[in-house]
Amino acid sequence: MPSLARYRGHLNLPEVGLEGQRRLSEASVLCIGTGGLGSPAALYLAAAGIGRLGLVDADEVDESNLHRQVLFGTADVGRSKVEVARRTLEALNPTISIVTHDTRLGPDNTAEILAGYDVVVDGTDNFPTRYLINEHCVQLGKPDVWASIYRFEGQVSVFDSRRGPCYRCLFREEPTDDLAPSCSDAGVLGVLPGILGTMQAAEAIKLILGVGEPLIGRLLVFDALGMRWDELAIGKDPSCPTCSGSVATPPTTARPAAREVRAIAPADLRRRLDSGDRLTLVDCREPHEWEAFHLDASRLIPLAQLPARHSEIEPHGSVVVLCQRGPRSVQAARFLTGAGFPDVAYLDGGLHAWMREIPIV
Amino acid sequence: MRVRIPSPLHSYSAGSSLVEANGRTVDEVLLQLDARFPGIRFRIIDEQDAIRPHIRLFVDGKPTAALNGALTPTSELMIVCALSGG
Repeated sequence: MPSLARYRGHLNLPEVGLEGQRRLSEASVLCIGTGGLGSPAALYLAAAGIGRLGLVDADEVDESNLHRQVLFGTADVGRSKVEVARRTLEALNPTISIVTHDTRLGPDNTAEILAGYDVVVDGTDNFPTRYLINEHCVQLGKPDVWASIYRFEGQVSVFDSRRGPCYRCLFREEPTDDLAPSCSDAGVLGVLPGILGTMQAAEAIKLILGVGEPLIGRLLVFDALGMRWDELAIGKDPSCPTCSGSVATPPTTARPAAREVRAIAPADLRRRLDSGDRLTLVDCREPHEWEAFHLDASRLIPLAQLPARHSEIEPHGSVVVLCQRGPRSVQAARFLTGAGFPDVAYLDGGLHAWMREIPIV
Repeated sequence: MRVRIPSPLHSYSAGSSLVEANGRTVDEVLLQLDARFPGIRFRIIDEQDAIRPHIRLFVDGKPTAALNGALTPTSELMIVCALSGG
């Protein structure tokens, strides 16, 4: 074990001591994602003397990362995240081993990568990878130290199917695209993942030391605006397809095929509007998105209100449904078609594509 | 009773994370919420009157899957939504 002076604060704790510090130095932790959650988690795990720290990320540093991803600095923009992270962490603690995995996790590489570590820290930013990690942690019998964030809210727990629920016991399925909150559109308070990611590091360290009460079977929900924590009991789901003892579901991101609806390209919609075609434009986004930007000719009916309000739309004319990027308007177009509207299309690529492709006049 | 609204549904509740509502059951509370915040129930409950699989409901910190579960005026209903951000 390296210099003891570095770890004096730990050595003075009866719950850690020399034996605990030795355990940390012999342990391995895999941080999946080195972004908002992964940055603080990796920094504290490295500082704590975790002997082998793995980092998974295929992204490069973007300027928009810097308000929350504290592993990186301004000069790192454009560089590989895991390589910059390795340099930062080695400067913090050169006595540990940093292993980089400059790749995205998928069905073909997840088991092999996870198998080499004692504890997994999930700091990813999408549902398919979260379920993939969960399913492999269940199969490999490894704890999944998990957190997620959105705007001012954070959630943190430890999923260990040998001792409690897994992620799929808590949330059986990811939301469909039209119901999924999108961080890139909604924003996130920069300090929020700092708080949650640091808690992930604390839980990983506790698991390795075998001290305290791990967050197994408990979900903590953090509200940064109200500055309050809620502790919620979560149990194992006897019917969970991932951990109930039946054959695990193969990791997949596939969704069932749905009824096809017609798309209209931004340029074609512009032409039809310019030629005076009678179109009803229905914007099915949320009110705050509408306030930020909308087309003058459109009317706001959020997707969730469409079943109750579709009678407000002229029933025999042509309808084009709009949303931010497309998925919600596809759902809305399917609904309206099913409700009997004869000519419904959705704006291909949503208003995001419109703003990119249609010049402002 | 108090109802805690998750961040992804704040656009329905005028930005509030905590609202007051009345009802003898979970579903009565959700229906009352929907009358005040149109569309919010559909984000929680699907067309088959089932809790959506990315949503969990907790009464006084304990999970419930029963929409007809009894509530008291001092109960707190917390709606939790799966988040993916990292």
